[in-house]
Amino acid sequence: MKFGKRLKQQIEETLPSWRDKFLSYKELKKLVRLISSAESPMYGKEDAEAEFVYLLNNEIDKFNGFFMEQEEDFIIRHKDVYIQELQQRIERVISTWGTNGTKPSEAEYRDEMARVRKDMVNFHGEMVLLVNYSNINYTGLAKILKKYDKRTGGLLRLPFIQKVLQQPFFITDLVSKLVKECENTIDEMFPVQVEEEIVKEQREAITVAGKGIFRNTVAALLSMQEIRRGSSTYGHFSLPPLDLSDSDLIHSFQLNPPIPTV
Amino acid sequence: MEARPALSIQRSGASQLSTHGVSGGLSSSLPALSTLLGESYQDFPQQAHAEREFMTRSLAHATRLPTNNGVVGHIFSSSSGFSSDIHYSSALPNEKHSINSPFISQSPTNTAALPLPQSSNSLLPQSTLPSHCNKEHSGSWCTDPDFPVSRSVLSIQVENSNCSGIMRSDDFGKQNDWQEWADQLITGDDALASNWNELLVDNVTNLEPKTAYQVAKPCATVPVQNQQLPSLSVESQSVANSSSSENNAPAKSRMRWTPELHEAFVEAVNQLGGSERATPKGVLKLMKVEGLTIYHIKSHLQKYRTARYRPGPSEGSSEKKLTLMEEISSLDLKTGMGITEALRLQMEVQKRLHEQLEIQRNLQLRIEEQGRYLQMMFEKQKSGLDMLKVSSSYPENPPAPSDATNESPTRSEPESSQRDHVNPGAGTVNAKSMLERSPQEVRGEHKAPETGDLEKAETRVSESNSQPSKRPRIEE
Repeated sequence: MKFGKRLKQQIEETLPSWRDKFLSYKELKKLVRLISSAESPMYGKEDAEAEFVYLLNNEIDKFNGFFMEQEEDFIIRHKDVYIQELQQRIERVISTWGTNGTKPSEAEYRDEMARVRKDMVNFHGEMVLLVNYSNINYTGLAKILKKYDKRTGGLLRLPFIQKVLQQPFFITDLVSKLVKECENTIDEMFPVQVEEEIVKEQREAITVAGKGIFRNTVAALLSMQEIRRGSSTYGHFSLPPLDLSDSDLIHSFQLNPPIPTV
Repeated sequence: MEARPALSIQRSGASQLSTHGVSGGLSSSLPALSTLLGESYQDFPQQAHAEREFMTRSLAHATRLPTNNGVVGHIFSSSSGFSSDIHYSSALPNEKHSINSPFISQSPTNTAALPLPQSSNSLLPQSTLPSHCNKEHSGSWCTDPDFPVSRSVLSIQVENSNCSGIMRSDDFGKQNDWQEWADQLITGDDALASNWNELLVDNVTNLEPKTAYQVAKPCATVPVQNQQLPSLSVESQSVANSSSSENNAPAKSRMRWTPELHEAFVEAVNQLGGSERATPKGVLKLMKVEGLTIYHIKSHLQKYRTARYRPGPSEGSSEKKLTLMEEISSLDLKTGMGITEALRLQMEVQKRLHEQLEIQRNLQLRIEEQGRYLQMMFEKQKSGLDMLKVSSSYPENPPAPSDATNESPTRSEPESSQRDHVNPGAGTVNAKSMLERSPQEVRGEHKAPETGDLEKAETRVSESNSQPSKRPRIEE
């Protein structure tokens, strides 16, 4: 119940092109309910399971396809994002010491750098969102399998989930690596100034308006926290509640309702 | 137009996934199922369901095929694949078409149960198909609007009608048949074979030395140059286990790109004069990576070109299409922080999210690992118990000590006494140590609850036998 709602929320908050790539949790849940209650002789349990597995496999196909495509995209772009920044700096240097070229003003330079930084941060965010995509779909699968076993007395969950663990969409190592790389690059290129630390102290409730990567990541984080708040069916296969040590950072965010898009 | 291999090995994981629960036929079930499903699954982009012809044979195979076969993947250019199947099976070697696995992603709606009227015609207009095939050269997903048929046609049908000599219907679900079929289709066509590196690599995690597997025999003609670039071997994302790795229908596979591979790609492209001037064929030749097909290159090149054209702006930000000033003003809503601060904040959140995701993922892995281990232990104990039952049927020797040893975990004894026994004790101790390892690997935050969970899990192993009603399945 809760997860379904959370998932739905996340899907709403996510980038539009991603919306249909998530797990069809609700439908699968309906199917499980149907299977458990149907018990019709012409539709035996084995058949039901086969069909269920078939659908799950299709979902997994979907995840794999989407994930790998995005991953490929990131691989293609990741160098360019950094190169851009370097180019800016080089141009700046050249024009400063340069001969006739119009030397960009400080403000222009700052704007340019800010833009580059924004691009990099957004790129980072996109990748993180992909990891989140992977995770939330995995979680959904695990949950739906658990439901299935519970309702039908089947033994599908354990072996099936083992296979899922080996699927490409779950193996997020490369993307995580790119994320870390990006983090390092950003930290190096845009070191956090002392003044900014002071600003942190004075933070009030921050309203995250508009759409975009930032909103998505905040949404994802909040969602994750909610999902792991505490399970009603807490077992040793459940994840413990999320512990965000710096929780005031997150709690200080409020999500405005999304501005309706064109 | 050169023949193109079209191996689909996208999700061979399916092959493993489905073998568990799938049994028996679904011959009568699909119609029922389609009514059950109703319209609620419109949004599933699924592989096509069987055609009528196929259905008459065995629906089990129909549904099982996409799942059982690592081979079965997505449909590419179904029409051309279609015709190629037909042509080849009709032994028209002069026709060179991409051999696409005519599997088509499609929502499993009622069309699944409905015999498509076009299906009977689908085999007929073969003469017109070649022209369409010739037009096709995109590596991806081009669907021919003139042939709606193809959308719903499973290769199975084609095979059934054309390759009946090859496929045995009862073995239809078996993956080996794909290879035979593939072999038959590719009789002596070397040009085709040279493009045929299809590969189901079973080892996803082992990226470096893995080479693309040559599935069909014709692939053997592909020169093995992998030794030169060991780190760049292509790995098709079949993510199969070994059982599916040998079986490939000629379909396009999904490739998982790596940065190293991409580097080689960029090198090759630059050597050829840039992304605009480089041709897929040239790039393919230059890269000399085994297992790479021209389709892969094509789609990758396309993406590359698009990215180059507009570097930096990501999909997310492009959707906003804000200028810098607008961006700042929207960020100003964050209590008037400067853009720098706003970006810093955003970075914080993103980092945090990523961190948590990694933790969560590790936890999930550990949990499943533990579950698997417990399952294994339980089965061992169970088999021991069974053996014991056999031996204890003899009145003379109720083996008391060994009884205690083997059965202790199955009794609801206090936890500590379990651990004292050697047999299960060792296992339990191992389990405990293994399980205790994981919280430490995870950052300390979740240590306490997890350890508690694990201990509870162990007790549950013991209790399961004595309390079947409460915990029907040990893996729980």
